[in-house]
Amino acid sequence: MRSVCKLLAGRVAISLLVLAGVSVLVFAIARIIPGDPARIALGPNATAEQVRKLREQLHLDEPVWIQYGFFVRDLAKGDLGVSLYTNRPVTTDIAQFLPATLELILVAGIFMIGIGLPLGILSARYRGRAVDHVIRIASLLGVSAPSFVWAVILMLLFAFFLPLFPIAGRISTDYEIARATGFLLVDSLLAANFAAFGNALWHIVLPAFALALSGIGQAARLTRANMIETYEKPFIEMARSYGFPEKRIARRYAFRPSLIPSLTILGLDFAAMLGNAFLVEAIFAWPGLSRYGVTVILRKDLNAIVGTVLIISAAFLIANLVVDLLIAFLNPRIRYGQESK
Amino acid sequence: MNAPTLDIRDLRLSFAGYSGTVDVLHGISLTVRREERVALVGESGSGKSVTARSVLGLMQSLQETRISGDILFEGTDLGSMKESERRRLRGTRMSMIFQDPVSSLNPVFRIGVLFREVLARSNPGISAREARERATAVLSEVSIREPDRVLDSYPFQLSGGMNQRVMIAMALVNEPALLVADEPGTALDVTVQDQTLRLMHRLVLEHRTSVLFISHNLGIVREFTDRLYVIYRGRIVEEGPTQAVFQSPGHPYTRALLAAVPRITRNGIPEFDADPALFDAPRIVHEPTGDRP
Repeated sequence: MRSVCKLLAGRVAISLLVLAGVSVLVFAIARIIPGDPARIALGPNATAEQVRKLREQLHLDEPVWIQYGFFVRDLAKGDLGVSLYTNRPVTTDIAQFLPATLELILVAGIFMIGIGLPLGILSARYRGRAVDHVIRIASLLGVSAPSFVWAVILMLLFAFFLPLFPIAGRISTDYEIARATGFLLVDSLLAANFAAFGNALWHIVLPAFALALSGIGQAARLTRANMIETYEKPFIEMARSYGFPEKRIARRYAFRPSLIPSLTILGLDFAAMLGNAFLVEAIFAWPGLSRYGVTVILRKDLNAIVGTVLIISAAFLIANLVVDLLIAFLNPRIRYGQESK
Repeated sequence: MNAPTLDIRDLRLSFAGYSGTVDVLHGISLTVRREERVALVGESGSGKSVTARSVLGLMQSLQETRISGDILFEGTDLGSMKESERRRLRGTRMSMIFQDPVSSLNPVFRIGVLFREVLARSNPGISAREARERATAVLSEVSIREPDRVLDSYPFQLSGGMNQRVMIAMALVNEPALLVADEPGTALDVTVQDQTLRLMHRLVLEHRTSVLFISHNLGIVREFTDRLYVIYRGRIVEEGPTQAVFQSPGHPYTRALLAAVPRITRNGIPEFDADPALFDAPRIVHEPTGDRP
C-alpha cells in the first residue's frame, strides 16, 4: 500500500503543477484575444467613464502579471471573480451548470464501460465468428464519426422519425425537484420522486448515448485486441486444462490482465468526453457548462473563461488520477512497486 | 475397474488450415496403466504436446482440428462424451503441468485465490478457510516452508522453482487419477528442475497417480518413468520398459536420440552413432504416407 500512496502523492503534485500551468496559459490567452471586456459587458450605450471605472475595478489597466497576482490571491480564497455576463460569482455559475454536464458524462461513461467492455469480451471469446464480425463492424462505425454527428443521427432516428425519446432538455417542465446536488437523477431519488427520476433518465439516454458511442467502440476494440493477446498466454491454457468454463475464462482469467493496458486509454477517452459534451449539449439543448462556456468566450467574460477552463482541466486531471489508482489496484506489480517483466 | 487409466487407440489428428489439412498424428496408440509413469519422448514437432492436449480434451473443442481414434480414460471414451463432460474431468480426475511455471500462473491473482478456484473444481461449495487449509497442507507436501507467505503472493513475487512447486501442488491437490506433465520445468535451470521433478516423483508415488510424462530429455525420462514410447513424426516408433529401451534401442531414431545425450566422458558434443540417412530432420508437417516406420 505504501507504494500506492507514493504513486498517488506524486500524481497529485504533478496534477497541481499542470493546473498552475493551465491557469497561466488561459489567463494570458484570455487577455490577448482582441476586444475590451468592459466595453462588451456594458454595451454600446455606456459612457467612457463607466467603462474606465469597470476596467479599474477589474484591474484591467495593470500589467498582466499583476493581474495574475490578484487572480491567485482570490483563488486562494475560493473566489473566481464575478462573471460580467451573469453578474454572479463565477463559482455560483459553475455550481449551477457543471452538475448537468457531469451527469451527462457520467452516464455516458457508464454506457462506455457497461456496453463497450462486454462487447469486447464477447468479440474476443468468439473470435472469427459471426458475433465477432458484427461487433467489430459496429465498433468501427462507432469510432468513425464524432459524437455530434451521432447526436444528430440519433436525434433524427429515435426522437424525430421514431419518437421514443424526447428531443431536448433534461426533464419535463411538469416536475419540480428540490435542488440538492444538482444531479437530477440523484436529486429525484433523494426526493423519492420516481416518476421524475424516470423522466430524467428518459431525457438523458439519447444525449449520453451519442456522447458515449465512440467511447463504446474504442472500449470494445481495445478490449478485444488486448484479450486476444492474453488468450495466447500459457496461463489461459492452464485455466483450460483445469476445466474452467470458457465463460469464466473470458470474464475472469483473460479479461482482468487485459483490462490494465486498456484502462489508460479509456480514462483519457472518458475525460475527452468533457470536450465533446460541448457539441452534444448544444444539439440536445442540454443546460450544462458547455452552453455557459461558449457564451462567456464569445462575450470575452474573462473571469468566467478562466474559471470554466480551470474546472474542465481539473476534471481531466481527476479522471486521470482515478485511472492511475484503478490500474494500481488491478496490477499487483505496480501495487508492490515492481517493474513488470 | 481394471481398465487402464489411459488407453489411446489409433489416434489421428490433423489441422485444417487455409492451405489444406496438415496431418500431425498418424495413429498413436499408447497405454498408461494404473499408477504407472509413462514417458512420451520425441523432438519438437513430433506431436507429443498435441497428444498430451488431446488426452485432456483440449484439442477436441478447436474448430480447426480433425480428430479420430479413441482416447479411453478409465475405460470411458472421451470422444463419446459431450464437451461439458470432458471439461468436468479436467482439473478433477486429470490435470496438467506446463513447461514454464511463471507464465502459466495468472499474474493478477494471488496463489491462494488460484488454489481456491482449483479446489472448487472438485468441491464447488468449499469455504475459504477449508480451501486455505487444504492448500497449506499440499504446499507443505511440496516442501514449501512458508505456505502462508506463498498463498498471499502473486506469481511474480516467487522464484521459478517456487512457482513450479506451486504448480505441482495445484495439479495434485484434487487427487487426479492422471497427471500429464508437458516438459515440466524446461524453462527452469537444471538444478531447480531436478529438485522439483524429484518432489513430483515422490508425490505421484505417494498419491498413486498415473503419469504421462512428455519430454525430450532422456536423462529425466530414465530417472522418473517405468515405460516409454518414442514418437517420431506423428507415429510411435518404439515402446517398452524404460531400462530395456535404453539398453537396446531398436529404431534408428531412438538410437539417434540416445546418442544426442551429451556425456561428460566424451567431448561434450553429441556424436551420432546412428546413420542420419535413416531418418529425416525434424519437421512439423509430415506426409501422411511414404514415411519409413
